[in-house]
Amino acid sequence: MNATALEPRDAPAPTSSGNAKIDIRNLSFHYGATRALKNISVPLREYKVTAFIGPSGCGKSTLLRAVNRIFELYPNQRAEGEIFMDGEDILKAADVNLLRARIGMVFQKPTPFPMSIYNNIAYGIKLYERLPRSELDGRIEDALKRAALWSEVKDKLNTSGLSLSGGQQQRLCIARSIATRPEVILMDEPCSALDPISTAKIEELIGELAADYTIVIVTHNMQQASRASDYTVFMYLGELVEYGETEKIFTAPGKKQTEQYITGRFG
Amino acid sequence: MRSEVSFRWLGLSAAFVITLIFAGVLTSLIAGSMPALKAFGFGFIFDETWRPTRERFGALGPIYGTLVTSLIAILIAVPVGIGIAVFLTEFCPRTLRRPIGIAIELLAGIPSIIYGIWGLFVFAPWFQLHIQEPVISAVGNIPVLETLFGGTPFGIGIFTAGLILSIMILPFIAAVTRDVLQTVPAVLKEASYGLGATSWEVMGRVSLPYCVSGMVGGAMLALGRALGETMAVTFVIGNAHRIEPSLFAPGTSISATIANEFAEATSPLYTAALIEMGLVLFAITFVVLAGAQFMLRRLETAKGHK
Amino acid sequence: MKKLTASRGQVLYLRRRLANFAFILLSLAAALFGLIWLGFILYALVKNGITALSPRLFSQDTAPPGSPGGLANAIYGSFVMSMLAVLAGAPIGLLGGTYLAEYSRTSRSAHALSFVVRFINDILLSAPSIVTGLFIYEFVVVPMGHFSGLAGALSLMVIVIPVVARTTENMLLLVPDGLREAAAALGAPRNFIVKTITWKAAKAGIITGILLAVARISGETAPLLFTALNNQFMSLNIARPAASLPVVIFQYALSPYQDWHDLAWAGAFLVTATVLTLSIIARILDKKRT
Repeated sequence: MNATALEPRDAPAPTSSGNAKIDIRNLSFHYGATRALKNISVPLREYKVTAFIGPSGCGKSTLLRAVNRIFELYPNQRAEGEIFMDGEDILKAADVNLLRARIGMVFQKPTPFPMSIYNNIAYGIKLYERLPRSELDGRIEDALKRAALWSEVKDKLNTSGLSLSGGQQQRLCIARSIATRPEVILMDEPCSALDPISTAKIEELIGELAADYTIVIVTHNMQQASRASDYTVFMYLGELVEYGETEKIFTAPGKKQTEQYITGRFG
Repeated sequence: MRSEVSFRWLGLSAAFVITLIFAGVLTSLIAGSMPALKAFGFGFIFDETWRPTRERFGALGPIYGTLVTSLIAILIAVPVGIGIAVFLTEFCPRTLRRPIGIAIELLAGIPSIIYGIWGLFVFAPWFQLHIQEPVISAVGNIPVLETLFGGTPFGIGIFTAGLILSIMILPFIAAVTRDVLQTVPAVLKEASYGLGATSWEVMGRVSLPYCVSGMVGGAMLALGRALGETMAVTFVIGNAHRIEPSLFAPGTSISATIANEFAEATSPLYTAALIEMGLVLFAITFVVLAGAQFMLRRLETAKGHK
Repeated sequence: MKKLTASRGQVLYLRRRLANFAFILLSLAAALFGLIWLGFILYALVKNGITALSPRLFSQDTAPPGSPGGLANAIYGSFVMSMLAVLAGAPIGLLGGTYLAEYSRTSRSAHALSFVVRFINDILLSAPSIVTGLFIYEFVVVPMGHFSGLAGALSLMVIVIPVVARTTENMLLLVPDGLREAAAALGAPRNFIVKTITWKAAKAGIITGILLAVARISGETAPLLFTALNNQFMSLNIARPAASLPVVIFQYALSPYQDWHDLAWAGAFLVTATVLTLSIIARILDKKRT
């Protein structure tokens, strides 16, 4: 199978690789006059972890930020093409906030809100749901447990989220994004600001979360991509060079550039 | 979605109120000064005569006082303010840095009316006795200085007002200079210290030149404050509508004239003349403050690029 | 020959050291220059102000020279006008500063508009208060036909708005974009992000700005001279002329009566104590933030 080839959208995908939850088609992206992405087409498969790798400036974060249209917070940035989620074009969706509620996002640096641990997680839930207190408590406990943070914070839910360590803050942010029950989780270099132990914890977490969510992770760390992902997208200078199963990309890359990058010859 | 739109409109209308105030200030000044503008034309700002009883009004005296007091203030405050900033960033022991910094900033917090009452009752008598009298007798026969610093020691006058203004604007200049000194890249300083330069040489040849545009901006901001300062000046300038060569002589400024005479201005032309002076003051400060913004904005963009 | 150059180098080095020493001394002198004035002013205020302080100040209105009087009407007037000015001005400044910080980047037209508003706001921030007071005189006092506490409050509001707008914008710009993105990624609309995240993150700084605005108007005199003017008596009606501490200080200090001078000093002491306390609280809050 040609690694860069895409299945036709209507054809049933092999069950082993899962259906495409999100299907990016001919996506181009512009920062003002600069074109940062050129005709990217790639599926993001349901209940799988897809990693975006490539040297810095290759457009991997830009691609990620197009998926939930977070780039629209800033002027002079625009995306062309199509990003289908369950058959609906994200870029044409009328209500961007409802769209974002279905897609969680975790950032490079931990971003706890200036409020208590409890309220950090309640924040996202309360945006779209009115729950009785007991149910809300349950949802928060569940999210913290899933983010492997519960045992560390259960006695101090009312202290500020800012009082946690960096690794804990990042897990808090993961808990916050899964608490709203999204279908997809986007992670933009979630471990780049963390120590090795916290990184290991989060990588383990990613593997567990993949059972219920479609996960996309941007990373500059190739070991991380090979350890934590099922599929890998290699990008260079705004173009998609190669897409395929992670194992294949790392053991038998189809393109010379991919091979050079993963063996550390550039980037 | 609806709350999003209404919140945006709320912010927009608040921003609009700000522009409305500005437009209101401008229109009220122009409308209010119309009678005087018609009666005196441009000659208003070049005429020294001020005779309310005969309905003759010329603003040259107050304009002169405003400009000269501010000039004195800037000439004193700029070097001293820079000195304070240099002391606090370079030489001050770490433990004293914060208290001294706060003390200097408190000078900016003291209301101008306090400078006024202190200037009138405490500073002016002291200045008259200990500075003016010796200086006047010392410059007695020296040609230029005799004109500048001669006359009767009143205590109050143009120079006293300028000196008090300089104390008031000192903290602004010190604060802006401290801020811009912090933008000097550490590598630049380290590189010249590495060559064996002394603190003075690093400051004079590397840091301060690097900060020139910021310091000019700070000085212009301070100048803008000095030009419009009212109460501190009103108390100590002497309120005399005449231009004398000696800096120790009493004079008046635009703001002092308005503050003193507005309530007693009985005729419409008198009021209009005072408002026209306000217009002149607004125009002068506008130019100075716009210049200050231009210099400081440039600095901000430079900071952003660093 | 070699020795000569060495000693020349030493002379040069000595001169450089000397210049450096002189430079340090000068900067020290500059700092002392500032501190001495502060000491001089505070000493005079305490010396003249403390002796004039008495409970009478707070219980009696200003009186004609010769008969005992206090400052009750002036304190009350200052308090009411300042409160009204802040209650009306702070929300406008807060919203305006928020627009400049949060919405100026959303579109090209908003960007251009913000540039103009920011420029005007910074001009108003440092514009002479005696001139902005003339604006209220023309637009409020002249149509009403008389001076009033309301006009005084409005002239102070004109000072509050730019101060609060400027500090609000500065403080909101310090909030990292990551927080806004994180909230947006959860599906929060922009106005909700502002109200629940960025305002909260910048709270201490914004309150500091409001306190500094209060400090600034508590000593403001010039615009009150032709808006609120003065009132011999306590006036609860803001449509009537109102007394204020700064105006009373101004008029009493320039009067020929010794008992009025004492009252002026007492007022000056009260005003300074208020302003400096506010500035210090603001500074403590500001330090907490950083």
